[in-house]
Amino acid sequence: MKTYDVIVIGGGLAGFMAAAVAASRGQKVAVLTYGSGSLPLASGAIDFLNAKAPDAAIKNLPAHHPYKKIASKNIDAAAKFFCDITSQGNLPYVGRLSAQIPIVTAVGTLKYSCLVPESMDASNLADKKKIFVVEIAGLKDFYGAMLVDNLKKYFPDKTFEVTKIDLKLLGGRDITCMDAAQILTDKEQPLANELKALNATADDAIIIPPILGVMGSFSRDVVKTQLKAEIIETTCLPPSPPGLRLQRAFIKYLQKAGVRILENSKVIRGVVEGKKLTGVVVENVVREKVFPARKVILATGGFYSGGIVMRDFDNPREPIFDLPVFFPTGAENWSNQNLFDDKPQGFSMTGILTDANLNPIDENGKVLYENLHVVGANLGGCDKIFERSMGGIAIASAYKGAIL
Amino acid sequence: MSDKTQAIFTGDRCLSCTSCMANCPVMAAIKDYRGPKLVGPAHGRMHFSQEDIETSLEFCSNCKNCDRACPSGVAVSTLNMLRRAEYYKTHKHTQAEDMIAHGERMAKLIRKIPFGATFSNVGMSFGKSLGIFSKLGLAGERDMPAYAATAFKDKFNSIKQTASGKKIVMFTGCFINDNEPQVGEAFIKVMNANGYEVLIDKGFNCCGSPLVVTGYLDEAREHADNNVARILDWKKQGIPVVTPCTSCSLMLKEEYHELFGEDKFHEAAQNVYDAFEFLEILQERGEFNENLKPLNQKLLYHVPCHLKSQAIGLPAQDILEEIDGVKVQTADAGCCGISGNYGFRKDKYEISMKVGAKLFERIKQDDFDKVISDCGTCRMQIHHGTNVKPYHPIEILAKAY
Repeated sequence: MKTYDVIVIGGGLAGFMAAAVAASRGQKVAVLTYGSGSLPLASGAIDFLNAKAPDAAIKNLPAHHPYKKIASKNIDAAAKFFCDITSQGNLPYVGRLSAQIPIVTAVGTLKYSCLVPESMDASNLADKKKIFVVEIAGLKDFYGAMLVDNLKKYFPDKTFEVTKIDLKLLGGRDITCMDAAQILTDKEQPLANELKALNATADDAIIIPPILGVMGSFSRDVVKTQLKAEIIETTCLPPSPPGLRLQRAFIKYLQKAGVRILENSKVIRGVVEGKKLTGVVVENVVREKVFPARKVILATGGFYSGGIVMRDFDNPREPIFDLPVFFPTGAENWSNQNLFDDKPQGFSMTGILTDANLNPIDENGKVLYENLHVVGANLGGCDKIFERSMGGIAIASAYKGAIL
Repeated sequence: MSDKTQAIFTGDRCLSCTSCMANCPVMAAIKDYRGPKLVGPAHGRMHFSQEDIETSLEFCSNCKNCDRACPSGVAVSTLNMLRRAEYYKTHKHTQAEDMIAHGERMAKLIRKIPFGATFSNVGMSFGKSLGIFSKLGLAGERDMPAYAATAFKDKFNSIKQTASGKKIVMFTGCFINDNEPQVGEAFIKVMNANGYEVLIDKGFNCCGSPLVVTGYLDEAREHADNNVARILDWKKQGIPVVTPCTSCSLMLKEEYHELFGEDKFHEAAQNVYDAFEFLEILQERGEFNENLKPLNQKLLYHVPCHLKSQAIGLPAQDILEEIDGVKVQTADAGCCGISGNYGFRKDKYEISMKVGAKLFERIKQDDFDKVISDCGTCRMQIHHGTNVKPYHPIEILAKAY
């Protein structure tokens, strides 16, 4: 069994990003996944922080915040690397860390984010005269009238028109955005024809659910070039084509770089030698198998993905390396019963604390394993959902973890 | 352990996250299938009456991409197969289903007739050209797998081996036994070179995979009980059971237990190894024969779905790369589409070819010397879809000894 330079545990955004960065530096990398990661469920937008100028706001965060350990220059480099990967996969992203740009959600609210797929960029919506919202016959979970009702609150002076087009998707199961995107791949012309028939001008925008294919921007390019109006995709319920496109752009990059993605491979512990790991142990249904590695990146996704588990209250655990987990003690600090409140959730701060090298530390600040780096949602000390930093922390910490 | 992996206990872990749907190659190919989430975990738990049948269940190919996509350990495809077995309790199998589920029985019958294999192969090519297969409900576009003149188990005694105190039992699998005995011979050569004498056990049945996917669950259970009793017997003697067929090894190691529970299936599974998994374990112990002749070959490796499910890395690639001059590139093109006997059904042929299209395209780039794949039906599908004859990786390794 060959020794990998880097083993990444977890195949979500942070895991794939870490693997891509390591592979780009000539390292032999394996990604061990258990489950397909959260990207197919994700919007595709990468939030960094909910602030007018996220980069400036990041500088003012407290010292224990993961961003402070990653350091600004790495955050910038990560954003650049991320955009390089996606553009190599013909999946252009737009945005920057100094401002946020809007995207339209499936219910017609605006969501602001730093890096967004070009197909979802709604920055120009404010300058449009008329906004067409296109429903697709048979497609579930996309309601034009509701979307318009909500979008009108942002743009009360604009003309809206809801149209329903028939792409002959009916006759089978209920169609999701993913289904429509798969069906339309390489067969975009019927959609292009229907949209052309709207006679939308260069001053207008057409909002559609995210059905422009599941690989890169290929389907979008076919449709876009035939239209005068700007065409904008919304977010949707999972499985989410923009998330799938991002996942596939990463997978393509990783495969090309010779990275192995080994599925169904549940890591149960490390092979420890003093303060170092020499590999990880995978448990399959029958026996254990050691995967030797010089360096390990833990990207198992925190509470939401089994990277941190809690069987007993006040006793959250990191199940692979049994790393100390930071969490707010006491039931009264654990949760805020108003889910969509202007205050964070205590439990969301739960995670692993690290030093500036993203090495896990104990309560005395002592490094536990010198060649283990913790990245993504496993990092504790902030409510990433509340402050909208999940994606940014994922790619920035993955970048840093991989270059160390 | 039982409750952790027996399929019926895993359904409740489903969060409806849709990861399985995003990774289902059949859903991507057609819109008739409602998808793994709704059919297995959801409907499998929700049905309350016999009449309540989810008909799109027939579209599941049991390729297990859903199981691997699931972050919560739901045995999605096995739940589907359990539901399928329920369905056939009240519905008759067609003649074609009977045929494709019982390849082992058919081969045994034919072997009893003098020159039966030859006549049968001629019959199959006639059957194809006369459209008889198609009328039966089989995919008329395909060649049925041709029988080898002599089955592997029949020629086994005439294969010269180096006697050794170290022994393994080879679980041949039906396809290698009846159709590709040369893979079995390569297996013996490799194991001999590594100091192991190979035994066979004529008491083994077909692993049962074609029975499970066609809804003959009771018969599959009989096979499982028989095979597991014999595996446990070999285990007592300290002799491992090794198979070069990835669908057999997955059935013996994992699916028996997922389907039927009972600890004996786990106990037996501990004595079962995939061929290259076994070789890699030898290598880790420093017992692998590294005296390999150089071979100048660029190989394109289609990793079978049923190997990916086993979570053993890519041992065939790692070991073949030990040979000087051998370069292995993975095809990275997903499921080949045939998934056991699925692609042999007339009404599933088109789906099966659509699923495999990406792999065929990759192979048609023709930037390699040979295609390799550990799975017999994957090899058939690749041959059918591209006209390129693929090899089992053990055939390559055998050439290096």
